[in-house]
Amino acid sequence: MAALAMGMAVATAALSVSLDVGDRLAREFRSLGANLLVTPESDSLPLEIGGVDYRPANAGSYLPEGDLGKLKTIFWRFNILAFAPMLEAQVKLHVLPTDGVSGTLTWPPTTVIGTWVNHEVKIPDGTTYRTGIEHTNPWWQITKGRWFVEGNKECVVGSAFARKHGVRSRPLAPGFHLTAYTLDGHPGPVLEVVGVADTGGPEDEAVIVPLVLAQQLDGKPGMYRRLYVSALTKPEDAFARKDPKTMTPAEFDTWYCTPYISSIALQISEELKGTDVRVIRRVAEGEGHVLSRVRTLLWLVTFAALLASALAVGASAAASVIERRSEIGLMKALGANSGLVGVLLAAEQLLLAFVGGGIGYAVGILLARALGQRVFGFAPEPKLFVLLVILVLAAVITLIGSAYPLRRAARYDPAPILRGE
Amino acid sequence: MTSSPMFWRIIRRLLTANYGRLFVLLSALGAGAAVTSALLNLQIDAKKRLTTEFRSLGANVVVAPRSTTNPHADDTSGATLDESLLPQIPSQYEAHSVPAVAFLYVIAEVAKPGTMHFEPAVLSGTEGHGLAEVRPGRRTQFLASLENDPEACEVGAQAAKQLKVQAGDTLQLRNQAREARCRVFAVVATGGAEDSQIFTNLKTAQALADLPGRISLIQLSVTGTPAAVASFIASLGPRLPGVEVRGIKQFTEAEGHIYDRISGLLNATVLLVLFLTSLCVMAGMSNVAVERKNDVGLMKAIGGSIDRVVHLFLTEAILLGIAGGMAGSALGLLVSVWLGKAVFGVAAHPRLIVYPISVVLTVITSIASAFPLRRLASVRPASVFRGEE
Repeated sequence: MAALAMGMAVATAALSVSLDVGDRLAREFRSLGANLLVTPESDSLPLEIGGVDYRPANAGSYLPEGDLGKLKTIFWRFNILAFAPMLEAQVKLHVLPTDGVSGTLTWPPTTVIGTWVNHEVKIPDGTTYRTGIEHTNPWWQITKGRWFVEGNKECVVGSAFARKHGVRSRPLAPGFHLTAYTLDGHPGPVLEVVGVADTGGPEDEAVIVPLVLAQQLDGKPGMYRRLYVSALTKPEDAFARKDPKTMTPAEFDTWYCTPYISSIALQISEELKGTDVRVIRRVAEGEGHVLSRVRTLLWLVTFAALLASALAVGASAAASVIERRSEIGLMKALGANSGLVGVLLAAEQLLLAFVGGGIGYAVGILLARALGQRVFGFAPEPKLFVLLVILVLAAVITLIGSAYPLRRAARYDPAPILRGE
Repeated sequence: MTSSPMFWRIIRRLLTANYGRLFVLLSALGAGAAVTSALLNLQIDAKKRLTTEFRSLGANVVVAPRSTTNPHADDTSGATLDESLLPQIPSQYEAHSVPAVAFLYVIAEVAKPGTMHFEPAVLSGTEGHGLAEVRPGRRTQFLASLENDPEACEVGAQAAKQLKVQAGDTLQLRNQAREARCRVFAVVATGGAEDSQIFTNLKTAQALADLPGRISLIQLSVTGTPAAVASFIASLGPRLPGVEVRGIKQFTEAEGHIYDRISGLLNATVLLVLFLTSLCVMAGMSNVAVERKNDVGLMKAIGGSIDRVVHLFLTEAILLGIAGGMAGSALGLLVSVWLGKAVFGVAAHPRLIVYPISVVLTVITSIASAFPLRRLASVRPASVFRGEE
């Protein structure tokens, strides 16, 4: 029974982890950031090089920021983990003379990126949701200071920008004040530098501000140009790659109600009118590739664990039947037929299987929790489904393991056994 | 004494007296060894394979001018690199090829011939091998016949929609007084900024930008564990003076993060399965060992010391372990090659280090499972022969 419990414990742990790992890993993959990009549908071609759009501010279309709460009303609303709009403005920045600088420093035009950080979005159902760039672009890290607080006139400067535009050979650091001027010379808000961000991308050359301030500098209140959405999705399979237009109504429903990236993209474009929702292929497909591989691999290892535990349990069941030889002989000598002996022994084995399986399940759940905690920092929830599988498995394996010895036992001739031969 | 012919004769008889028992023991040990070697090999292979899979994320390293200034402010050589840098990038790293593509970005005007309605668009001249690896996307239209034409160009999905062009159409490109034309051979959807770009030959872009021999940056897709990619970056940097070699943080960081998680998970589950497998084998073998009571009783009755008896059984266990381990591990390696094909589509490389490890583990398990025989030290020959215990 110890072997049985041990085998079932490992089977439980492996099964729980495998069932849970898909969701967990999908969440880990969100460290790649957004996998959907929303842009205006009727737009002139973006002239984007290295993350900076070189179109003049009045070219191209914009989208209303007020609509964004609707993202949390789509069918797969709980799979929308984060979103952040972006709006760029080209400005000239000056350091305020109060920081001990005489005269004004003239810097070349700089890109200002307006976005959300820990922003509270109003959802049409009356609730609110907090989201922002720190979730859609988790690799944007603050190396000094902190993120700006929305509502304050604060900004975060990119690390390359900070290095390049030092004041008196000191790089820009939290505490400096910058005045923004639009390219045609109108003065904008005075911004306090509260942090330095390292993104490893072109944003390192820019200044990041709350969205409202960028809208003010662009003269586009309540508007944004690009929206990044990070959604939890199911890796695409052959079905997901079918063109929704060629599907039958039943197929379309299945497709619509599966969190494929393409169906979430469709649902977003239905809610946000006049948008073009595009899948960021390198993120979505890279994720799909790796996830499906790892999942197969884990199922394989789980299967190996189940096989190994089945062998152990079968062997111990066989051994326990062999040990019972003299009892079987006695029963037969007293007149029990082979069928009765078989049923009795099978019943005993089944009882052992249930008790052993139960104990194994309890130990296995603890094992799975320890494993989940170690690897993901999050323990999988015990699932009743697993208990059911484990009990059935224990019963089946024990019966198979004891079937051959039982058949042999049924054919025993009582006399030699009782003589001890 | 132990090397006496008698000792080996007893061993031989112990092994061959009951072929059924020998078969059970060998198959238990062999199965254990097979599972062990298959999983160990698969685990090592899967980790390597995973780093290859990560490359479907595209470029993870960029070679750029040291201080990328705003290209608006300085459109000439300051923000560009010399194209001779591209051949200096190693084409191999840790037995994987390194796709490297040089890009030159130009804002040019584009029109379909005849329409004369020019629209500004980003033109990206490319040269190098592995554009598809560096810039993953889906080609929605593709004309293979034009692919190797130096005059051909690839259009991003959004640009294709905006300009209303299809594969096979010809585009007119101009930048101030300089003009060029190209035939569209593919439309590509990436979901990124590339969707609004037009990809041409590097020479065409250089001619349009009037920047002969210059490039904006080089993108690389380096295969390897996060640590290996970091050391690639560190070793390439000093070899290319005046430029900056940096990882694309979005991908390098996420890869590191996910790689750690997955390899931790694999290690933990494989360890668990190996532990269980050895327990299984031990359970199976101990059952058989206890049946040896009669043999032990006889040996003691005719004057064998318990040390000699245990010695005999240990030798037997080691022999069984070696035989079962060698056969099982070989089988396991074969199985893992096949499993690798099932999971990753590529047959797993059998790694020879796995073989001795697996055999040694099997022998250790076999010896450990002979230990219940110690209990037989207390066997009293008389009661065994009376059939009491």
